[in-house]
Parts: sequence; structure tokens; C-alpha cells
Amino acid sequence: MDSCRHVDIALPPHTLSARIDRAEMLRYLGYAGQEITGELAERIGRIAQTCEDALAPRGTARCFSVVPVPGAPDVAPAIDLAGTTVRLRGKSAFLHLKDARFCAVLACTLGAESERRLRALAATDPLGATLFDAACSAYVEAGTAALEAEVRARAERAGYAINWRFSPGYGDLPLNVQPDLLAALDAARGLGITCTSSNMLVPSKSVTAFVGLFDTAPASADAPHPCSLCRLREACSLRARGVTCRGAGEGAL
Amino acid sequence: MRFDENRLPYREVPGDLNVADPDLIAVIAGERHLLFDGAMGTMLQRAGLAAGELPELLCLSDPQSVTAIHRAYVEAGSEVVTANTFGANARKLGAAAPVDAVFEAAIACARAAGPRWVAADIGPLGALLRPLGTLSFDEAYDLFAEEVRAAERHGADLILIETMADLLEAKAAVLAAKECTRLPIFVTMTFGEDGRTFLGTTPEAAAIALPALGAEVVGINCSLGPAEVAPFAERMLEVSPVPVMVQANAGLPRDEGGVTVYDIAADPYADAVERMVEHGVAVVGGCCGTDPSYIAALRAKIAGRTPLARAVAPCFAVTSAQNVVVLPAGSRNVAVIGERINPTGKPRLKDALRSGDMDYVLGQAIEQAEQGADLLDVNLGLPEIDEPALIARAVETIQGACPLPLVIDSSDLEAVEAGVRAYAGKPMVNSVNAKDESLASVLPLVRHYGCAVVGLTLDERGIPATAEERFALAEKIVRAAEAAGVPREDVVIDCLVMTASTNQAQVVEILRAVSMVKERLGVRTVLGVSNVSFGLPQRPVLNATFLAAAFGAGLDMPILNPASPRYRDAVAAWRVLNAQDGESRQFIERYASRQDPYEAPRATDGSGGKEARGAASAKGHSGAADPFDVRALVISGRRGEVPAAVEAALDDAEDPLDVMNGMLIPALDEVGDRFEEGTFFLPQLMASAEAAKVGFDLVKERLRAQADGVDGASAAKGALCLATVKGDIHDIGKNIVKMLLENYGYRIYDLGRDVAPEEVLRCVREHGVRLVGLSALMTTTVPAMRDTIDLLRREAPETKVFVGGAVLTQEYADQIGADAYAKDAAAAARIAERFLVERA
Repeated sequence: MDSCRHVDIALPPHTLSARIDRAEMLRYLGYAGQEITGELAERIGRIAQTCEDALAPRGTARCFSVVPVPGAPDVAPAIDLAGTTVRLRGKSAFLHLKDARFCAVLACTLGAESERRLRALAATDPLGATLFDAACSAYVEAGTAALEAEVRARAERAGYAINWRFSPGYGDLPLNVQPDLLAALDAARGLGITCTSSNMLVPSKSVTAFVGLFDTAPASADAPHPCSLCRLREACSLRARGVTCRGAGEGAL
Repeated sequence: MRFDENRLPYREVPGDLNVADPDLIAVIAGERHLLFDGAMGTMLQRAGLAAGELPELLCLSDPQSVTAIHRAYVEAGSEVVTANTFGANARKLGAAAPVDAVFEAAIACARAAGPRWVAADIGPLGALLRPLGTLSFDEAYDLFAEEVRAAERHGADLILIETMADLLEAKAAVLAAKECTRLPIFVTMTFGEDGRTFLGTTPEAAAIALPALGAEVVGINCSLGPAEVAPFAERMLEVSPVPVMVQANAGLPRDEGGVTVYDIAADPYADAVERMVEHGVAVVGGCCGTDPSYIAALRAKIAGRTPLARAVAPCFAVTSAQNVVVLPAGSRNVAVIGERINPTGKPRLKDALRSGDMDYVLGQAIEQAEQGADLLDVNLGLPEIDEPALIARAVETIQGACPLPLVIDSSDLEAVEAGVRAYAGKPMVNSVNAKDESLASVLPLVRHYGCAVVGLTLDERGIPATAEERFALAEKIVRAAEAAGVPREDVVIDCLVMTASTNQAQVVEILRAVSMVKERLGVRTVLGVSNVSFGLPQRPVLNATFLAAAFGAGLDMPILNPASPRYRDAVAAWRVLNAQDGESRQFIERYASRQDPYEAPRATDGSGGKEARGAASAKGHSGAADPFDVRALVISGRRGEVPAAVEAALDDAEDPLDVMNGMLIPALDEVGDRFEEGTFFLPQLMASAEAAKVGFDLVKERLRAQADGVDGASAAKGALCLATVKGDIHDIGKNIVKMLLENYGYRIYDLGRDVAPEEVLRCVREHGVRLVGLSALMTTTVPAMRDTIDLLRREAPETKVFVGGAVLTQEYADQIGADAYAKDAAAAARIAERFLVERA
């Protein structure tokens, strides 16, 4: 540890500056180049605007030392994050972080108001609810990307390179790590993110993720093909049409 | 019923706590300062506790270290130390240790440090309550009850419920402490820079609702630094009838060398807290980032002081988790109670209640909020329903998405309790009356749950005719309320409006009674305004005139339909005259450019009916189809133009069903095909479904008119039940399916999300449903889908089940034994057709 360069990544909960990527919002809605009439286009634009006006993503991040735990014949490898109870089990997370010096854990949420508005719209305006849901997904993704950019800037200032952003549920990393990730960030207290007994985040428009910090640019600096780690790939209607929910060839999942 | 008069009266009497110590009694009376300790977590983490580890377990594994921290606080001057039990609930501890053992050890650790008092610490459960989360109120209550019982058993002197962000969760904890122990309850919530908790609660809402429920001390902890917290404390001081407590963080967190540090040192912290003490804060301590040096500095500030004597003028106040409705003492402010959630005379609502369609109820709530209601009356009285269960569901649903405080309106005491118990805030109960039996049964419940209450001026002899007699009954109610521990300001008298057509002479008596009650008893008044006009023409004119007269007589809270523009005009105008609308700002904003409705209208905006034919075609969408081509309008999702076209088609058709089966359904089928082949995407499918819905509603209206109230359209196509399975909260897909199927004319029983298998079975049995649709988003919740299917196979084998959701495939659907797999909403429509129509 002492031989490591100093890295100062402890971003307390704060509001993130982000905007909804309209194209991404459309992709979440299954858009694949169909002709959109003026009325619908206007409604989509209005909902995206409401979402940005009424909500703001907030996020927090902290950095921990990485402790690889090699696997055995019957035991999958894992990564422990020092000073926390987090154990990231499975090959995917292991490969993602085994050569990293540090791991920065991120959490981002649109807050309870997003949930409340989704409930209200679901009861009164199903199409509005669907559009708002997609807008929120794009917004929390944009917030998480902004948070990642802050982490990246700090890491680079300290001379580290980061790899792409990984989240529970990708590859073989189980969702049951969510409670420990939230605890490592004190995210219930700081952001109001909680977890159900089935390991779903509430508010549902919340994200936890992590990146590795490396001495030199890692092989996994760039995200793999967005679908390669996705569990939904077999059932995905977007993929069947040759598009991805993140746009072709960029981003992670 | 949870509330048992025989079991509970001891906590109803202030001072009947299990507190012998006169100094602690003085604290509760607001006559003595009290110094708590500072952070425990900060100290433990400094000592090497890992983030995410359960600090409570240290009480068992390393009690000396825990006691050493407590001792440092005692030496610095803490009168109360807070036992290390913040997260010691069964949900967080899991198998690590029994709750009781942790409390025993933690309280022993605290006691060993030699403090004057030990507080049992009760933190949040770490899971959000329904409807935004999945934890039920009763589950939360039981978890807290286990904690507080252990706290009392092992000798804690008081309960500190802290760092609460959810008023409903705080309420579950306070109720548990109140119903299961005799310890004093201190409760603090945590606020963000915007002055709200994560769930939107304001300092005022907390400081009104929690003391009403029985908290001895209310306040703020964690959140921010003392400077940022000060204005929130100020806001609490303005409304709280009980002492106010502050345990702030040591400033704002800052990133320093990869470690979170706080930016305020002990002395400036104490200075900032001292300013709050000067304004009336009585109980102080510290939260994140504070240590014994902060407590030592605070001790010096409060030494030799007594709290500022505060006098909060009693006034009517109710709250939801987000909104507060206060009618300040001496003001003539008025608040509007929306009346529409009441099935009397509303077939559509009756139908929704019978089928458990809470979306419709919530829609009514949201609409009334948009129309300017300040509170909502919730009355679900229908003879053949389980009113307590339904009212609990309605309250849960409404408070998840609509911020207005609720008035729980029922003559069934069990339903009232079901409504108020799991209500996030201080509600109003409608109603008690002057019958001895009513006073004896309703008032203790109102007192127990800290509600306001409507008192009806009627007794065993009925409704009296004169103002004097009504006043006498009001006086009886107010006296009985005070005797039962319900303060006068929480009583709102309803002098009961009679119909002018049958009791004309009584109308002015009612107004006189309102004035008398208001002036002589000093309580607020409520009236169900529209009763006055039954049986007469132009009811809105009479209603609005009566409303204005009643305002003049002293009416505070009209119960009315806020959709009526005449009512809205009267309310807006009165709020100018009573000075509630400061500088007439809202009135000017709303009315400055409005045309006088009595002047001849300049133009109509041609909505509906045959006149709209011209208007619709004049709108001239470029390349638009024939404006009367229903099919084309639905396909292009032009909702606004559908009514005129459908009305015209209905006029031409022999049977309204021809319009449905010949135009609307084929249009939806076509849209489904386009969606299938990818020329339409989801919002287009839904926009078409919306447009079709407008048409279906018109068809149904015609059918109803023809068949004299029989809802032939939906009955014809069969019913199905939809649910997002247990453990899953992502219901957007299910909602899309619901919308589309409704528009195909099916009757939908929507059970919502996180639905247990037994709930699905119950619905199938209750409504004779033959087709069930289940959705799940995550692989982790697909097993719950299988459980539901298994249960249905065993208990209702004739039921068909289709499944859908992001992770599902045909293969997966086969594996779990579903009858069909719906890859999207259009597929669901074909499945419904296959199972419900072809077999019918």
C-alpha cells in the first residue's frame, strides 16, 4: 500500500451534472429507425425535459485496494475490496480487477421522487410512464457516466488508468453483492439507496458500478461488445434487430 | 385490530411513562437541556471497522472497545450515551446474532461507561417500505418491536429513533416503542440541502406528525453541518409542541486524500449549536464526524442554561409525508377537501373498488390534487367489500404517488384504523359524532394514532334543526375529545348540510351554527357543500353560492368536487378576500386574462359531438387520412381526433359493437402486426392503444345507454389477472400489457408488483379468472414465477398462465411450466385472444 501512489477518490454524495441522451432514451424504447410522427416526437421531448427539470442524479464514489482471491477447482475466483465487506465473486469481476491497484465503487440515483412520479404516471398515463421510465434510465446512466468521468479525472491525475465500468449482474457477478456495495459507500445514508431482499435497488433508477485503477493502461480499458456479457442477450429484441441498448460498439451494456 | 384500549391506555397519559427521574421528566417537559454523545460509527471506523461490517457485533466480540468509546463521551460530558444498536434489527443482523443478545450486550457496554442515561439506538431498517419499496408496514413494525422490547428488557432509559428518511418508517418505529414499551421516545430525521428527507418529508411534517403520534422529543440528526441544519431546526421549533433535538454532522463531508473528512472543528461546531440553543433547541449532541471534543465544547455551552421557554400556538395541522396543511390560529385561511374518492353515486369507482383497480383510485387522487384540493377524503364504503383491507391498500397506493394529506372516512372503526395506522403522516378521521357510543369508540383511536377528527353534530336523536342544538352537540364532542386526550385544535366540526329543497329553513341555521362553533368553541369547521342543492336545477350555482356564504360564516374546510370550476372560482376569490392569497398574486395570475363566463362566448373550441366534424378536418394534418377513418386515426395514434370520428361511426352503425369489432380492434391488430415486423416501435404501439381507448370508452358509453347500465363490452371478452411476481418491482412491461389488453376489451385485475403467489390464487378464485399473466424482469425473480405457476397448477389447475419479461424466452417459459410465452404486449394480446376468445 505504502508504495502506491496516492489516490484521492472519496467523492461525497453530490449532484451530478448530466443530460438525457435523447437517442439513448429512444433506444431503451426499442427505437430502430422507425418514422416518428410530430405528436409523438413532441411528447417524447416534453417528457425528457420534465425528467431533467424535476430530477437530478446524485452520486458518490470511494476507492478501495484490490485483493484478488484466486479460485480453486470448485470455487470461482473473487476480488475482495480492502476495508469493506465486499467480495466480488466470479470470473468476470476477477478478470476485470485482478491486475488493478485500486477499485473505485460508484453509486448514482435519481432519488425517491423518480419512483413517485413513475408510480403516478403508471396509474394515469401508461405511455407517459413508459416514456418517463426510459428517460429516467437514460438520465441515471448519464449521471453514472458523469460520476465515472470524475473518477477517471482523479485517477488520471494520480497517474492511473481506469478500465470500463462494471455492474452487478454483468457476466457471472451475482446481484447479491448489492447490499455490501451500498454499505461500502454508506449509500443508504448518503443517497437514500436501499436494496430489497431480492437485491433490487430502490429507487429503481439507481446504479452501482465499479472500475479498476491500473498502473498502465489495461487491456480492458475499452468496453467489450455491449452484448457479450449481457444476460439478456438471448431474449433481446434489440439485438435481434442488430442494435444495442447502448448504441453500436460503445459503452458497456 | 392492533389497537387495544385495555392494553394501551398507559401510554395515552403524558407522564405515565416509566420515568421516575425528575431530571428526565424535566427534559421531556422542555425545562432542562440534555446532552447526548457524538458519533459511534466514526469512532469505530477510526479504530479499523470495515465499511459494511456490522458495528453492533462488536458489543459481543469486543465490548471493552465499545465501552471505551462510551466512556470517552461520558468523560467529555455526555449525559446520555447511545448504545451501539443502530442497525441491530433482525433484517440487518440476519444470522450473525440474535437481536436480544446484541441489545443486552450493547446496553451493558453503555452502562459500564457510567453515563447518567442510556439510550437504545434504533436506526432505519435499510429497506424502503411499500409502495415505493417492498417492505410492508407490519413487517417494519415487527422488526422495530423486537428491538424496543429488547431495549426495555435490558434496561435502556429511553428510545432514540434516528437518521430516519421515511416518515412512515419513523412512524412504525414510534408506534412500536409506544405500544410495546413505556420508555420515552426521541426521534430524529435526516434532511438534505433542499430541506427535505430523501423521501420528501419536511421538518414541519416531521415536527407535527411525530409528536402527535407520541414522540416525547423530535428533531434532526446527521444530514449536514450545524449551520445548514439551523434553518431546519428553526422550522421545527415553529410548529413542534415537544422539545426539539439536534445532532448535526461535523460540517459537510470533504474528500481529503481519499478519505472522507468533515470540515468543522469542535469549537465552531459548538458555536453554531449554541445559536440553535438560543433559538429554543433543547437537546443536543453530535453525529457523523463528531467526537468527544465536540461534546466537551457543547457541554460548556449549555452548562447552567435552561431551554428557552417556547409557546407554540395550538392550531389545526395535518400532514402527509410531504405536505403540511396548517390553518394558523387566528387566520381565516381555508383548505379544500376533495370528495371524489367516495363510491356513492359513482359506478366507475364502484367497479374499480370491486375489481381492486387501485390505479383508478390513484388517478382520482392525482386529478383532484391538480385541480387544487389540499386534502383528500377517502371513503371506500361499499356493502360487499372488505373495507379495512381495501382502505389500507388505497392509502398505501395514494401516499406513494400523491402528496396530499388524507381524510380517512369510514363508519367502520376497523377500516379507520387500517387507514390511519400505516399512513405516513398525521391524517384526519371522518368521523365521530355526538352519540355516546361513537365518542367512546372513535376518540381513543384518534388519540392513539395522533389524528385530527371530524365531529358530526348528530346524536341518538338524529340531526337537530336549530343552530343552538347543533352547537350543543359540537360542544359535547369537543369536551369528550379533550377528556379523551384529543386536543381541541384537532377537532373539526361538521354542522351537517341539509338540502335546501327539503329543509330550506335550515340552511341559514347551518351557517349560524358554523359561526357559533367557530367563535365560541374556537375549533375549525368542515361542510359537505354540495348536499345543499339536491333535487334542484343548476346545482353548481347553488353550491358555489352556498360555499361563499359558508366561507363568510366561518367555514374552514369545504368538502367538494374540485373539478367544478364554480367551486374553484369561489375558493380562489375567497382566498383574496380572507387575505390567504397574499397580494392576490395567485388570483391575478389565474384570472387576469380570463374571460367572464357570463359574457357571450367568442368561440367554442368544438370538442366532441357532430359540430366537431368541421373542426377535426380543419386541423389539417399534412398527409392526414380522412378524419372520419377511425382505423387510420388509431393506427397513427391521433387520440385527439378519435372522438369525433368514433361518434360519427357510432351514429352510422346499427350496433355499437360493430365500431369496436369492425374498426377499433382491426386497427389495433394492424398496429400489432406493424410492431411485430418492426415498422412500429413501442411508443407508437402505445399511442395507438391510447387512441383506441378513447374509442372504446365511447362505444361502452353507447352500450351502457342502450343496455341500461350493463357493461356488455368488457363482459363479452373475458377477464384476466396480471401481476409482477414476488420480489420484483419492475412493472413497466406488465403495465404496457395491461394497457393494450384493456383496449382490446378485456377486464383486467391488476395485482401490481411484488405479488405473492397466494395473492394471484386469491384473485383467480375470487373473480373466476381463467387466464393469468405474470411478469419478471430479473433472473433472480423467475423462481417466484415458477412458484406462482406451481401454486396455480395445484389449486386452480384449469387456469392458463402466460409469462413475459426481459429475461424470459420460450425455452425458459416451457421450463417453468407456463402455457404461453409473450415476448411483448402484442404477443400477449394474441395469447389472450387464443385462450379467452377462441375458447369462449
